[in-house]
Amino acid sequence: MSSLGYYLLLAAFVVGAYATAMSVAGARRRSRPLIESGIGAFYLLAAIMTAASSVIVYAFLTGDYSIRYVQRYSDSAQPLFYKLTSYWGGLDGSIMFWVFLLSLFGSAAIYINRERHRELIPYIVAIISTVEMFFLLLMIVHNNPFETYLTENPTDGAGLNPLLQNFYMVIHPPTMYLGFVGLTIPYAFGMAALITGYLDDSWLRAVRRWTMVAWLFLSIGLGLGMIWAYEELGWGGYWMWDPVENAGLLPWFTATAFLHSVMVQERRGMLRMWNVSLVILTFFLTLFGTFMTRSGIVQSVHSFGQDPVLSRMFTIFMVSMLIFSFGFVIYRMPLLRARNELDSWLSREAAFLFNNWILLFCAGFVLFATMFPTLSEAVTGERITVGPPFFNQWMIPIGLAMLVLTGIGPLLAWRKSTLINLRDQFVFPILCGLLVGGTTVALGVRIWSSGLCFAFSGFVIGTITQEFWRGARVRQHTTGTDLLTALIGLVGRNKRRYGGYIIHVAIVLLFLGFAGSGFKLEESALLTPGQEARIGSYVIRHNSLSVTDDGRKQMITADMTVLRDGVELTKMYPARWFFRKHEDQPTTEVAIRRTFAEDLYIVMPQFDASQQSANVEITVNPLVNWVWLGFGLLAFGTLIALLPETAFAFAVGRVPDAAKTATASLLLLAITLPAAVQAQDGAPGRTNKTVMQRDIEGKVICMCGSVGCVRSPLNNCPMRPACHGYDAQTAQLQKFLNEGKGQDDILTAFVKEYGTAVLAIPQGRFNSLSWVLPYGLAGLGLLLLVATARRWSTQPSVGAAGGVDTLDPALDARLDDELRDLD
Amino acid sequence: MSSETSTESQPSFEPWQLFTLAGLIGATIAVFMARGESPAAVIMISITIFAAAGVGIAALRTFLPLTQKTPSDGARIVGGRTRAALEREKTLLLRSIKELEFDRAMGKVSEKDFVEMSGRLRARAARLMRQLDAGAGYRNEIEREIAKRIGDVGVIAGSTKQDPAYAAERQSPDDVGRVLLSRPATTCASCNTSNDPDARFCKHCGHSLEARP
Repeated sequence: MSSLGYYLLLAAFVVGAYATAMSVAGARRRSRPLIESGIGAFYLLAAIMTAASSVIVYAFLTGDYSIRYVQRYSDSAQPLFYKLTSYWGGLDGSIMFWVFLLSLFGSAAIYINRERHRELIPYIVAIISTVEMFFLLLMIVHNNPFETYLTENPTDGAGLNPLLQNFYMVIHPPTMYLGFVGLTIPYAFGMAALITGYLDDSWLRAVRRWTMVAWLFLSIGLGLGMIWAYEELGWGGYWMWDPVENAGLLPWFTATAFLHSVMVQERRGMLRMWNVSLVILTFFLTLFGTFMTRSGIVQSVHSFGQDPVLSRMFTIFMVSMLIFSFGFVIYRMPLLRARNELDSWLSREAAFLFNNWILLFCAGFVLFATMFPTLSEAVTGERITVGPPFFNQWMIPIGLAMLVLTGIGPLLAWRKSTLINLRDQFVFPILCGLLVGGTTVALGVRIWSSGLCFAFSGFVIGTITQEFWRGARVRQHTTGTDLLTALIGLVGRNKRRYGGYIIHVAIVLLFLGFAGSGFKLEESALLTPGQEARIGSYVIRHNSLSVTDDGRKQMITADMTVLRDGVELTKMYPARWFFRKHEDQPTTEVAIRRTFAEDLYIVMPQFDASQQSANVEITVNPLVNWVWLGFGLLAFGTLIALLPETAFAFAVGRVPDAAKTATASLLLLAITLPAAVQAQDGAPGRTNKTVMQRDIEGKVICMCGSVGCVRSPLNNCPMRPACHGYDAQTAQLQKFLNEGKGQDDILTAFVKEYGTAVLAIPQGRFNSLSWVLPYGLAGLGLLLLVATARRWSTQPSVGAAGGVDTLDPALDARLDDELRDLD
Repeated sequence: MSSETSTESQPSFEPWQLFTLAGLIGATIAVFMARGESPAAVIMISITIFAAAGVGIAALRTFLPLTQKTPSDGARIVGGRTRAALEREKTLLLRSIKELEFDRAMGKVSEKDFVEMSGRLRARAARLMRQLDAGAGYRNEIEREIAKRIGDVGVIAGSTKQDPAYAAERQSPDDVGRVLLSRPATTCASCNTSNDPDARFCKHCGHSLEARP
């Protein structure tokens, strides 16, 4: 079984090499048989990976514990569902899963485009095969999933980590991989276009849908990760700027930038070199993300561990890939340099340029800040921590700028907006923004970032509403139907645009959810039965503690009642589960009460069964459900944008397109339907922390160094309910506060004891580079943008008039007929 | 897939059908042999066997093209722009024009810009339409020529040219075609060489072709 699997991997590697060689040779010699053989080999690779995958899954199902990987991530008591999905639970299997997905995606891409882009196909095959070969090589020489125990075969497995035994954790990796792997396809197309020199828009059109699908899966994957962190880890938050979280975010930024800038190329033929570079960068970032997770160069809750050999292999591959890709960009520079014109700053093109600038600013900042501790240690020798407060602080301005741009972009005209134009377009949205902003101020909101966020959200919603309304009216005029039909027809005729607008609304919802976290309330209490804790407008009364067992785990559940103004709202049951064979890693079952306005969130990190007492941490998270709604709406909007051209025309769409989107939608339904609220529904005496205490807890990093420690601030550590390493530092902090020390003294004392890494926001002159450099680079980027744009606008408009040759009137009439029939 | 590459007509088995059948038989045997195991394991075995069948089909797809004696298809690959691709590009251009008109109605494009941008797009579309027309025209002419020539000599094979395309072309309003069609190939009376329809002297023996029986 294990040798079969290993030989399949070896065979896959050889076949991949064959495919690459055949395709390139066939393309160079223009020999059809060679190319066809290469394509066949590509399909063969997919078939072999399917066989290899089924071998490993079979091994999991039958409990073949002679294979190390199976032994590590499964045991006989594990439910079937988790046995199947342990395939991607560990490092080796996840690499094989990556190759499997890539081979399937690649085969689909080749099959769909086999007639339309014949000249590109051989090179696409070659590129994707090379990537697959790299990952296969990793497995063959270093991380073999089929590796066996040489001597004693264990009779049972270790079992999957209980933290991973839940629905979200099963779905989150494949969704993320689908996103990452999907982004390889646009890269392959882009490189093929560069290599062959066919640099017109055709490669863009081929990859547009792929990029959207991959982007969708990446977004959903990130969302699922956030939901998991929120519901399973129990620290009350959903994003902690963990290096690996950031690694997943980076290609998302660049892919979003790419999706926008292709529109400029399609409309105006501009930004061709930029688009190609973006697609290369996106692919590089997906590799980089994989590398970060698996190499151990950053400490993270996601880390598989340290692996220098793996790091080296990845580094070599990434560097070679960059040299190869950008080498071709330089080689094809003459073809990529088109005449560009930017007529005005107040134009849609300029808005897209700004959009790209800001998204890359986000990506650059996150990347730099994530790598800064490593960088700083190399330069100064001091280990520092760049924690969530730092990210939250510096990302807010950038995020707000992005939000407002989302509203401005659609309002600007192509080429140039006149003043009358501007007035006409901007009045309503600005009014909306002012209205919302005024209301928030009137309601007493004084946090500037949240207030601005609400105002900008109002602005964006105003823009999008106006777009839908006016578009429907225009269509009503031209087609003479009623408003509703016009609206549906509008969306049907411009799926990409209006799907995109829906996605923008989803982004607004996300930002609203993020803004809510500024009003978070936290409380912790030690409660015996009958005691109550107060938070916000809620009163939580602890009733009892029960101990039950279901054969797989022991469950300690607290029975709590929530009251508001004396009226009982609901009962909630926070719990801790101790799984067999993993009693040292109990899971925290969070109790959440969800409403649109806020979440009541109760966690029980500690308990005393003999006393029936529970030590609970209660959080009120305002507006957090808008984040999940935002993700749902994002998926919906993307599906609309992805629909084939003929959908809504009630005609049968072309099968490959329809099949692609149908599969994507089915997959998404399968993923998101069961993801309906899973957390249970349904636990002081007192510890009332002072404001200063909370503030300092946000600034001090836990240095417990336990297994899986992620170096989070004391108040925010996702490992908190399980790990109690923060107790020592919390006690110390309490002592300092009791002594009456000021914040600065306390922080200095901590630094003296634990080193500079204990501070969440790096201090010191060198460390201020952590934000100075990205912001500085962004400023430079902006200047470069302005300079390039000015250069473009001063060029004489060559060929602009040259394209209008006198049309044959008969041809013109035919064209008008066809245009009319199109609708 | 494989049918594309096989040149001879196969009324019986396609290779991939053979593999699918082998896969089914293999899966049945394997499932029978493993009947004591859990359902999930049995399903996995079947899937593995099918995967193996898939490997076989793909392997065939890989190596069969190498055995085919088809000549280099360089022109098709380099040219790349099949008729379907041209049609598709035209449709996309038309949609772009429509989108531009919509933007103008929404006030996102000024009148002057609209005229210029749509003019450019229309010119491109017109060029494509001309290309599509021309391509169709030449193709028809070439097919007619071939049909005409093979139709005369092809009596040897015992098959007369009953090409429906040929028949259809007779109804085409193309004057040139009709002229060509109405002039059958001339055979020299003395040496029996087939000559071009507009030839006046035989290219082999030089005999005058004007007087015809």
